[in-house]
Amino acid sequence: MTEKDLIRQLKELKEIKPRQDWVLLTKRQILQEVSVNLPEVHTWAMFQWKLAFAPVVSVLIIIGLFGFANTTVPGDFLFSVKKATETVQVGLSTGAEKSEVHLRLANKRLEELSEIAGDNRVRSLAPTIKEFQDNMIEAVNGLSLMDPSTLKDLVKETQKLEENKQKVESVLGVQIGNDETEQLEKQLADYLIFDLEKRTLNEEEQKLLTEAKEYFEAGAYTLALEKLWFLSN
Amino acid sequence: MSQYIYIMSHLQEKFGKIYDKYIEKIYRFVFLKVSSQEIAEDLTSEVFTRGWESFRQEKCDIKNIQAFLYQIARNLVIDHYRQKGQAQLVSVDAFPIIEEGAGLEEKIIQKSEVDEIKAALANINEDYREIIVWYYLDELSVPEIAKILSKSEEAVRVQIHRALGVLKSVMIGLRHQS
Repeated sequence: MTEKDLIRQLKELKEIKPRQDWVLLTKRQILQEVSVNLPEVHTWAMFQWKLAFAPVVSVLIIIGLFGFANTTVPGDFLFSVKKATETVQVGLSTGAEKSEVHLRLANKRLEELSEIAGDNRVRSLAPTIKEFQDNMIEAVNGLSLMDPSTLKDLVKETQKLEENKQKVESVLGVQIGNDETEQLEKQLADYLIFDLEKRTLNEEEQKLLTEAKEYFEAGAYTLALEKLWFLSN
Repeated sequence: MSQYIYIMSHLQEKFGKIYDKYIEKIYRFVFLKVSSQEIAEDLTSEVFTRGWESFRQEKCDIKNIQAFLYQIARNLVIDHYRQKGQAQLVSVDAFPIIEEGAGLEEKIIQKSEVDEIKAALANINEDYREIIVWYYLDELSVPEIAKILSKSEEAVRVQIHRALGVLKSVMIGLRHQS
């Protein structure tokens, strides 16, 4: 007997095969049984897990939602969430602070407009400009409620707004909210001049006030505010 | 939950392919170690049930699934004999192995040869029997067997050579007896 004969004989044992029906049935039983039964355990386990972490997950979702919403711009799906937080912010401010809050929001819209223009998101332009104008109108309306001594705080925000507005206009190639901005600057300058006229000023201050009034009369409200800013500080 | 179902169905599909690939080999490996078709079926079924459990839990991260299945099969056979308090023996008459379509004379010769080799395998030690089945029947490579046995490839080659020599001697002895 050679090794070759022995190996050939060994290979005949390959004919040992399982019954085909048993093979199929066993496969079905193993895979189906486990997939049907175990998920139930997992479902309950997952449910328990979910229940235990539900408060944490809810807080995380809310934080995530507000965090994400904060990056949205008017026209986006989640902007309404951001708008709601801003409405609360306005609602919580006192009458005298409302104008400043609206002015800050108007500035925010301008910054967003700059981003929108950069990303070429044309669809968001109109609603953002609208939001900017609405905030400007509210800011103007709120001026009359402000304490004259705090009016000077608005000047810096107004100057920042003017800078942002010019930047956005240069990108977009159109002018936005001119009337509202002019109205705000005019009213703010008017109130400040009226307030300063009642005070005792030295010669240099008197000179600055006179220049501011001249600019005001000429309709150059931005320049008038610049002079008033120096005077107030 | 939908992600869980997706992962499960993906694992099922992968393990289904593993099952198709190894079911015959594992069955034969077990059958040559136990005394009946029924026991071979039960133990093989258990091999794949345990294999699937581990596969599912490890998210199919089992390095060598073939070695893993053979290892389960070996352990189950050992447990089987331990429970029965029996020694491991190969049943010569347990299962008729005749090629379909063969003529009567061929069938008789084939039956005789198959019985002879089965009887010879039953008379060599367990380690030699396993290595012969893996190398000549299941056609596992030397590196694959080395992995299953956690031995060097050189040691496996030497063992295959020795096992075949022993089997040949036993066969010659059985022929002399008959």
